[in-house]
Amino acid sequence: MKNILLLTLFSLMATLVVAQEGIIRGTVFDDGFGESVIGANVALAEDPSIGTSTDLDGAFSISVAPGTYTVTVSYIGYQTVSISDVVVTDGEVTVLGEIRISEASEQLEEVVVTAKAIRTTEVALLTVKKKSSVMMDGISSARMQLTGDGTAVEAAKRVTGVSIEGGKYVYVRGLGDRYSKTTLNGVDVPGLDPDRNTLQMDIFPTNLIDNIVISKNFTADMPADFTGGLLNIQTKDFPDEENFSVSVGLSYNPDMHLNSDWLTDVGGDTDFLGYDDGTREIPADALSDNIPTPISGASDQEVTDFVQSFNPNLAAQRENSFLDFSAGLSYGNQSILKNDAKLGYIFSLSYKTNYTFYDDVFYGEYQRNANDETVNELVYANIQEGQLGEKNVLIGVLGGLAYKTKRNKYRLTAMRLQNGESRAAQFSIDDNGSAVGHSGYLAESDNLEYNQRSLTNVLLNGTHVNEETGWEIDWRLSPTWSTLDDPDIRKTAFTTDQVGGPVFNAGAGGNPSRIWRSLSEINAIAKVDFTKDYSLFGEDAKLKFGASHTYKDREYEILFFDVQFFGGNQDWEAADPNLVLDPKNIYPNSPNIYFQSGNSDPNPNQYQSDVNNTGVYVSNEFFPFPKLKTILGVRAENFVQRHTGRDQLAAQGNPEGRSLDNEEVLNSLDFFPTANFIYELTEEQNLRASYSRTIARPSFKELSFAQILDPVTNRIFNGTLFQTGDWDGNLVETRIDNIDLRWERFLPGGQIFSVSAFYKNFDSPIELVRIPEQQTTPEFQPRNVGNGRVYGVEVEVRKNFAFISESLSRLAFSGNVTFVESQIDMTETEFQARKNFEREGENIENTRDMAGQAPYVINAGLTYGDSETGLDIGLFYNVKGETLTIVGSGLYPDIYFQPFHSLNFSINKRLGEDKNTAIDFKVSNILNDKRESFFQSFNADDQIFSRLSPGITFGIGFSHKF
Amino acid sequence: MNLRFLLALLAMVALVFTSCDDDNPAPSFDNPTVTAPTTIVNLASGVTGQSVTFDVTFDSELTASYSATGSNVTISNPSGDVAGGSVTINFDAGTTTGGASITLTVTDSEGQSASGTAVFTVDQPVVRVTSNVSSDATWTADNTYILGGRIAVTDGATLTIEPGTVIKGEAGTGVNATALLVARGSMINAVGTASLPIIFTSVADEITPADVAAGNYASPNLDPDINGLWGGVIILGNAPISASNDDMDISEVAIEGIPSTDPNGLYGGNNAADNSGSFSYVSIRHGGSNIGAGNEINGLTLGGVGSATTISNIEVVANQDDGVEWFGGTVSVSNVVVWNAGDDAIDTDQAWAGTLDNFVVVTPSGSCFELDGPEGTLVERHAITNGSVVAINGSRTTGGLLIDTDSGTPVDMSNVHFVGPLFTTDDDGNVDEYLVMTDDEVAASTFSNVTFDIDAADLINLMEQGGPIPAGISAGGSPQADVSVFGWTWANEVGGLDGL
Repeated sequence: MKNILLLTLFSLMATLVVAQEGIIRGTVFDDGFGESVIGANVALAEDPSIGTSTDLDGAFSISVAPGTYTVTVSYIGYQTVSISDVVVTDGEVTVLGEIRISEASEQLEEVVVTAKAIRTTEVALLTVKKKSSVMMDGISSARMQLTGDGTAVEAAKRVTGVSIEGGKYVYVRGLGDRYSKTTLNGVDVPGLDPDRNTLQMDIFPTNLIDNIVISKNFTADMPADFTGGLLNIQTKDFPDEENFSVSVGLSYNPDMHLNSDWLTDVGGDTDFLGYDDGTREIPADALSDNIPTPISGASDQEVTDFVQSFNPNLAAQRENSFLDFSAGLSYGNQSILKNDAKLGYIFSLSYKTNYTFYDDVFYGEYQRNANDETVNELVYANIQEGQLGEKNVLIGVLGGLAYKTKRNKYRLTAMRLQNGESRAAQFSIDDNGSAVGHSGYLAESDNLEYNQRSLTNVLLNGTHVNEETGWEIDWRLSPTWSTLDDPDIRKTAFTTDQVGGPVFNAGAGGNPSRIWRSLSEINAIAKVDFTKDYSLFGEDAKLKFGASHTYKDREYEILFFDVQFFGGNQDWEAADPNLVLDPKNIYPNSPNIYFQSGNSDPNPNQYQSDVNNTGVYVSNEFFPFPKLKTILGVRAENFVQRHTGRDQLAAQGNPEGRSLDNEEVLNSLDFFPTANFIYELTEEQNLRASYSRTIARPSFKELSFAQILDPVTNRIFNGTLFQTGDWDGNLVETRIDNIDLRWERFLPGGQIFSVSAFYKNFDSPIELVRIPEQQTTPEFQPRNVGNGRVYGVEVEVRKNFAFISESLSRLAFSGNVTFVESQIDMTETEFQARKNFEREGENIENTRDMAGQAPYVINAGLTYGDSETGLDIGLFYNVKGETLTIVGSGLYPDIYFQPFHSLNFSINKRLGEDKNTAIDFKVSNILNDKRESFFQSFNADDQIFSRLSPGITFGIGFSHKF
Repeated sequence: MNLRFLLALLAMVALVFTSCDDDNPAPSFDNPTVTAPTTIVNLASGVTGQSVTFDVTFDSELTASYSATGSNVTISNPSGDVAGGSVTINFDAGTTTGGASITLTVTDSEGQSASGTAVFTVDQPVVRVTSNVSSDATWTADNTYILGGRIAVTDGATLTIEPGTVIKGEAGTGVNATALLVARGSMINAVGTASLPIIFTSVADEITPADVAAGNYASPNLDPDINGLWGGVIILGNAPISASNDDMDISEVAIEGIPSTDPNGLYGGNNAADNSGSFSYVSIRHGGSNIGAGNEINGLTLGGVGSATTISNIEVVANQDDGVEWFGGTVSVSNVVVWNAGDDAIDTDQAWAGTLDNFVVVTPSGSCFELDGPEGTLVERHAITNGSVVAINGSRTTGGLLIDTDSGTPVDMSNVHFVGPLFTTDDDGNVDEYLVMTDDEVAASTFSNVTFDIDAADLINLMEQGGPIPAGISAGGSPQADVSVFGWTWANEVGGLDGL
């Protein structure tokens, strides 16, 4: 089947090589609506018999003999546009890009522009933005080509209101992950981390992206589960010209790379391909209900063999770290078939390895003073200081095939991502016996982890247009399979403050442990959208309706084992983890090491959940008054989540336990009304107002009985189904009312000025809460907290410096500042817990900041772009204000993420006659800032919760288009 | 080839000769034989559907029948014909603990017979407990109880455990650990006697109530330093604790070793005279499973236990975490042996307001005393009196401190003697490392007649910060505990208390 497909493809390509001709391509847009124009006539002024009409994408393609032509675009009721100086060379494609046509006015019958002028503007996206029904921002392929950004994440940085976290995740307006959403080609794609709503962005090469658009408010045709922003990445389906390019890049971080102190796990032979070769696989016998132990009835030899079936390597190794390396290859083209249909195809392969080394990692656990409310300073409970090495490998493959006739389009894209990250760390642990719930000890730990993720997504999409009747039908089917495994998480901590040398003490640093976690998820989406253009109140109107269904199913399991000693004295030559599983220490040799299981059958840490979400909507876009575009719509979603899982008591057969067998944990039918008004003050100015209701739902992990221990920090995540303290175990969705206002002004050359104000009301927001009853181990649980609200203003500017001097027109400033005030009404329990720990002189109120909401986000960029010389320079600054990340409780202070001042520089130069070779140079984190979170308490010094220093990274890249 | 031929020939000749041997006899037949299995099989009391196979022979020219009789068993096929070389007898075990047997007699058609006996041991009936005890229940000494998980006594119920009862926890670690937990408002009534103590141990321990009844208190198969095989015993009450959840004083928090997702793990209240029942002559062994670093189950955990509760005559052997740990509460405890604890021996937190009287501590891996202060504004003092501590014994050495107090620890320690040596030695027998006590965080603590078996000049070496030596602490002295009350303990039985 695959071969036949390939053969067909090649034979098609072979027939399409036309001798002594070149091709002119372009896309025609309606300047008034920002939409593509279907059925416009495109012909050569020199010979009107040579021409065509635009297809459903507004695209056209004309084959002509080499020469210089004028291309004329005409459409009934619209001005004719002529593009002069179109040079066609043999066997080449001349791309005219986006051509705007406007409804005819009496003054101007015809517009003439030159081919060169049309290529170097980013008009289409701006037109879309200007005319869009929703408040949106975005970046088009044209702009990406101008700026030379390599991947989607670099391009997204240039979009207003966006902040990038961890170099790959995108947030909008400082709202956390829960309220952001990413889609690919208009459908939900779970990220490599299925617990996140947002998709990893650094895997999409820009030359295969058509556009990135961020919608900041909801319309009925969008999924209702976003609040901050919906970011959609649209991949190209019909590349304008043949595009085969390769790129390589190297980055150097003086703190991290070529460092012989770097820490790593010995690992497996296929780590460099992003997956484990079985080195970290769980031993087969470990899956048995009755693992061989000295008390299981197994023979001594069976116990010995079982212990030896585990990987004996428990120590982090010192090795030399290399440079970050990336390489990419992409190909795209389109062909015209005999029936004048077009076939587009894209393919890309990318590979990245990153080496990270943090040599001053700090994880702290602090408490308020428990006995004396006049003491403000915090007391340390546990401190871990040390070093962390990471190696991350990412492979991405993306392929797409698209076929279109004038009125029908079919598209198939497939994507596979494979990611492996190994982490190795060494920490010195200082536990303070004077702190509440702490026993006090010193320990040295080695931690080894491997995180393996894969994602496979297929999209089948069809679009059918009939411009006579005004109907458009678009349908999409998109299944995604994803897995996330943490095989063999190893923690080995010697307690070091003991008489007689280092030992394992379960009551202090703990016994060596290992954990296997696995997750697999299927995510299938089907949706269909109908659009009908018609006339209402004498103006153009558009009716949209459609339906969608999402099915998700997840399986999750954690298996836990720890080392035990069957009597005998421990006597270690040194605190070297690799000595532990030496055969001479394994049962029946003193100290009689064996593995004990922390898993019962059935396993309380295993669950299966599924979701069925059916949505229908209707939306109408019309002009009740001239210049007042109105979009009214409503979406209904019926969301049903089922869960199969059990708590620990049920797992042991205790009838007091709770066990769910495919039972509904959420079932809601919600209506999401939306109203958008756009008043065109002038041709260049809009006033927008909108109201919408959206939703944020708990994740599979949150709505479960899972108890997930992080062996590094000892923190335990508890699923919400547990009833703890006064929490009843019933987590509900958060419903959000959104109101947005915006004034915007568009200036020539892509300049913008806009001011927005927004208000969001959160009904029962979900936050991760520290369980106050548990004082020995930090335990957290997602819970509904009191209602919340967020209001903010946003100012956006994109302005070039031509107003100073025409020679500075290539220098532009773009900036976006968002100020947000957020407020959560505390629950009575939280308020009381805080009140109990009120310090002298402190006045605790019953509201606080909303977790995850930054008080401000600033993005600023200074860019210089000269497409003539192929030089693009950019300096970007991004910062997010101090953000409450973990809500404290009583004894435990709140934790705030500190502003990370990210200043990055990039320069990109394209070389050669056709500008086909590009060299870029980047510097990230120029200010050498640290990522820090602090415990904060009244009149107390801030204390570190976590600290990582990413250092400054210098990168150089090379790419060439063939 | 020739050799084989010759051998065959020889055999034939021999055959001829032998067959000619008996000239005119009555026909003679081989006697039947019965071979019983030699291993003694353990049977659970009353277990049904068992079988035992005897190997039998009888002369091939005859037929044979069998009959089977048994004691303390019920045989379902007591007679029949013998076919082939074995007879399998099907039976149900009796319910009398102890011996049982089946005797098989085979009689051939000539009337010749033979018999053999298979021997069994009928064990205690085993009761596997997987549900919480939510209404009054009694666990009796004629059963062995298996804890199949974290079993809580809840809803105000009283669990009575008869003297001589053996309770065994199944293996597990993490949230899978087994334990017996007496929730707030419920009661335990486990009162053994000096001759019939109650034993909490691991399923791996082969000790039986018969052993206990016979005065054999030691495990027949587990060493007294094997720990972490199951959880432990946790008693929780409504007495005040100095914890920091609500109101900084009187509060409820989740007990160490139990995930906060189990609501039965909450303790603390405002009833100082709360009664959680009676708990005495109890030996708790081989426990201490952990749910995370620094979060394990102690041998005996007492969280907010009130003063009306009776707790005395307790032995904790080889617990992976602490021996006995108090989290606030007002209960007083007497006659305690903590032997080979995996972490601290005696651990107090959250302003426990009671007295520990007459105790022996032998070689904990952590500290001998880990005494913490209040965690709220409630400050109550506790007393530790009349004790003997063995910090080093052979190859086992206390890994932590002799006495670990915090600056706010409200303890009054009196009449406690630390037996020497109090230092480790190198290969040449010279002092390698002195064991030490906290001497700088004793502001809230008092000492009286706390003695260390060391030369007076070396006493300063036991001070962690190098002195000054707190008042009431001196060199010399002699063991203070009355060990005569510990005759029922495993430690005593194997000489662990000798010299005290």
